[in-house]
Amino acid sequence: MNTRKVLSILILLALLVTPILATNAQDDGPVEAVPGQELNMILLPKDPGNPVFVEAHEGAMEAHEELENPGELIFTGPTPENAIPGQIEIITSGTTEGVDAIMISANAYEELVPATTAAMEADITIVTWDSPVMPEGEDLFIAQVDFSETGVVMADMALNLLGEEGGQFAILSATPDASNQNAWIEAMQEALEADEKYANLELVDIVYGNDVPEDSYNQALGLVDKYPDLGLIMAPTTVGIAAAAKALQDEELCGEVLLSGLGLPSEMQAFVEDGCVQEFALWSFHDLGYLTYYVTYLLATEQLTGEIGEQFVAGRMGEYTIEEDPNREGGKRVLMGPFSLYNADNFDEWAVTEEEE
Amino acid sequence: MRKRDWRWLLRWESLLAVILAMVIVANIQISDHYLGVDNFVNLFHLSIEKIILALIMTLIIINAEIDLSIASLMGLSACLFAWLYNKGVPAQSAILIALAAGTLCGTFNGFWIAYARLPSLVVTLAGLIMFRGAARILLEDRSIGLFPQWFNDLGQPNFVGPLSFGIIVFIILFVVCLIVLHFTAFGRYVYIIGNNRHAARYAGIKVRQTKMILFTLSGLVSSLGGLLLAARLGTVRANVAEDFELDIITMVLLGGVSIFGGTGTMVGVGLSILVVLNLRNGMSLANYSGNIQTSVVGILLIASVLLPNLFRAVRRWSAFSFRSRDMMSKDEEESQETQQTDTVGSIAN
Amino acid sequence: MNRIRQIIRPEQIRELSLLLIILLIIIFFGSQIDSYYTSRTFQRISSAVMIIMVVAVGETLVVITRNIDLSVGSIVGVTAYVAGEQVSIHNDLPPLALVLLAVGIGTVLGLLNGILVTYGNIPSIVVTLGTMAIYRGVLVEYGRGENVLVRDLPDWLVDLPRVNLFSIGELDIRLLVGVAVVIVIIFQLVLSFLPYGRRLYAIGSNPDAARMAGLPARRIVLGAFVLSGALSGLGGFIYLARFGTISFNAAQGLHMQAIAAVVVGGINIFGGSGTMFGMLLGAILMGILEQSLIRMQINEFWKDAIFGLFILLAVATDALVMNRLRDIWARAAVQMREAAMSEE
Repeated sequence: MNTRKVLSILILLALLVTPILATNAQDDGPVEAVPGQELNMILLPKDPGNPVFVEAHEGAMEAHEELENPGELIFTGPTPENAIPGQIEIITSGTTEGVDAIMISANAYEELVPATTAAMEADITIVTWDSPVMPEGEDLFIAQVDFSETGVVMADMALNLLGEEGGQFAILSATPDASNQNAWIEAMQEALEADEKYANLELVDIVYGNDVPEDSYNQALGLVDKYPDLGLIMAPTTVGIAAAAKALQDEELCGEVLLSGLGLPSEMQAFVEDGCVQEFALWSFHDLGYLTYYVTYLLATEQLTGEIGEQFVAGRMGEYTIEEDPNREGGKRVLMGPFSLYNADNFDEWAVTEEEE
Repeated sequence: MRKRDWRWLLRWESLLAVILAMVIVANIQISDHYLGVDNFVNLFHLSIEKIILALIMTLIIINAEIDLSIASLMGLSACLFAWLYNKGVPAQSAILIALAAGTLCGTFNGFWIAYARLPSLVVTLAGLIMFRGAARILLEDRSIGLFPQWFNDLGQPNFVGPLSFGIIVFIILFVVCLIVLHFTAFGRYVYIIGNNRHAARYAGIKVRQTKMILFTLSGLVSSLGGLLLAARLGTVRANVAEDFELDIITMVLLGGVSIFGGTGTMVGVGLSILVVLNLRNGMSLANYSGNIQTSVVGILLIASVLLPNLFRAVRRWSAFSFRSRDMMSKDEEESQETQQTDTVGSIAN
Repeated sequence: MNRIRQIIRPEQIRELSLLLIILLIIIFFGSQIDSYYTSRTFQRISSAVMIIMVVAVGETLVVITRNIDLSVGSIVGVTAYVAGEQVSIHNDLPPLALVLLAVGIGTVLGLLNGILVTYGNIPSIVVTLGTMAIYRGVLVEYGRGENVLVRDLPDWLVDLPRVNLFSIGELDIRLLVGVAVVIVIIFQLVLSFLPYGRRLYAIGSNPDAARMAGLPARRIVLGAFVLSGALSGLGGFIYLARFGTISFNAAQGLHMQAIAAVVVGGINIFGGSGTMFGMLLGAILMGILEQSLIRMQINEFWKDAIFGLFILLAVATDALVMNRLRDIWARAAVQMREAAMSEE
């Protein structure tokens, strides 16, 4: 009798424990990176001269050191007039060289895909960040913010600045092919049409400054000249907003034509003080570079397989999940985080003093 | 004088061969992947339009002219093709129209140069700006892509064996130019006109027709290059093929072709094409940026004219110190000097 | 009639016709665009043109000697960047020192161009095509990819484009524009009255004759390239003041605009003729066209096509018309001399 009781209790215990053990075996929790593996990676921005991408590089280097990767992290990019063919060439060279991963902020949505597909076939991990390519041309996209949300943020900033009576505004974008800017502008146009409150805002033109300071400067002046009733210039590019601010300042139009968009706080500081830029938004490119590096490292060492639902820990930034990209069919993304809004009101919080630079 | 040139050129081609060998050795050190078939095909493929254009440019420069508008014409024909295709014109017709337009532009250049006797430097400079402008009018800020698959395939490697269509075109065109330049009467006329236009005319050579033909051909080849570029990139923007002139002119001058006309061989240009392409490839594999590569090409360009001048100066100096003025008469010396400072004018004439 | 032919030269006719074209164009645009005759239009055009004017002065000097300088854009870029970078690091650099720095760098780069052309015996088109690429590449390496940013520049520099020289009613004449005009005037005087100017024309007209007359051709052409570099350096300083943010493709393509101003302004690409005043008119014409096309909301992409067309027209006119005019003038001069002699 006692033996049978003991046996039944044991079996019962076993039956109880096994599922728990089994579940534990499956559910490891979010993946944490195993440091020290050697990987050669290329960080390929839209334009290596643009300060935001230099910040992203710094973030990637931080991750590179934290993960103790003895391999190389190469930071290289095309010249602006050779933006797309230059990136294609770097990807192709990287494929020939046999690097382990390429992290791309793409200058074009479709044109890079033949090159990236060839790279993926050669077992190279392709991760896009800041600006994606077609879903079949990449393993994953690291989105700094949600792209549709960006459109709403821009629309809201415009509404906020132009007020109830609304008015005319124009967009000064980067290059005509940039997938991120184009997605944001599209999202903004959708937001403007969808909601009644934006009814008084009239988008009169979209021009492209190609992320070249001289061109952006001239385009901003061109807008002012073409549309005498222009109330606001929206520039979703840090190069564009800085150049437009200088242009408005030189022509003494600050305050007459309002300026907003995406800008680097350090660059915008003087212009906000002068009243040339009223409000702008951004995210941390440093963090974006850091996060991108981590994810790429995990993918390339196969600690992550890149499937939807996988969770992982990206160093100091915490937990993230790979999810479906709602803005691109069949795309996968990791969403980094929220916008930061900057203006004259919260100036003291973000303005940098001399010593910090 | 001709004899000395001929022997000197042979030496130039040997020098090129040596440089090529050095570049290849350096490249092997830089990367293990250099010697693969893929890499070699890529090496050619990524610059295929430039080297095709270098072939026709050789003829033009030997003829003592220059065509600065080739890159813009490439851009224009690519944009024209894309624009037509986008409007619904079937791709084959669009190709033909783009080729015809390019040829017409070449003829336009040729008219001003050959018949109105304007300097080719300025005419093609104006062309450079105008054709690029026309491309911008067509395409504005947009990019057009999504060409038919058969068209895109023409622009990718592995079309015939590992080679691309463009590489095959280049090989054929190279052979044709080689034969025409060195073995036909037309080729000889090109040289003679380049040496001395007036003497050529007095000798009964049809100078104006020759120049017209050359610039028309330049237009045709440029538009062909533009279409190949469109096929390779898969999309076309108004600034496509910008700044290709530097590489093209460097390849020609480095090949031993004198900017004043009258000398140069196809073999030399072929060798210099190999040198420039391998150099660029090596720099890419070593991860040097596009800007650095361009500066190196710039240095090559200057060196390609500077070094022969230095050799000549050294030879003249050593000849001078051994024998008084026998080797070269003073008039010859001075006319050579004049020729060399009379730059724009001589290209114009 | 002959008397008139003696007083006015063909070149001056060309410049007068250019002036006429400018007036016609202004009237045309004035009729098409609202509030065209305002100070704002003047500001816009003068600000856009001032950099080109300074650079084109140097280019004119070079072209008069039968050479060409394609590297001016790269020189402007290099000087703008280096000057900007230095003043970002040393914010208390006095303005004059900064200007001298920019001009100095430009001088050195121009000197290199000049040496290669005159002592290396390399055609200027080859040299400057090469140095255009080399200087640009050096700039990229030097900058290591980082832009000069407005926030790092001292206030006086950022505010410089707005400083006024003087005002006539509502019309403000900006300091930088004034500087550009003064430079044009100075060099026009050099060309017209100083022996150096005469020598430049001589070398451009006929290098052989000039050398046989004992002119130090090499040094003179070298000087032209050095001046072109120095003026491009000054242009770089103005560029820095205007744009603030300098990336390493600053002023790319500037050489095209400079050459356009020179050619349209009547300076013969063969060398030997042309004046600064003509270049000024050419630059102004190009500037007016560019800015007005934007105002008219005409597809801005027509700008380049029209530019190229103008260059072609200018050169064609020069070749077809000017030569004939010169023939007529020369014949008239001979006739007058014969008439005068037969009277004696």
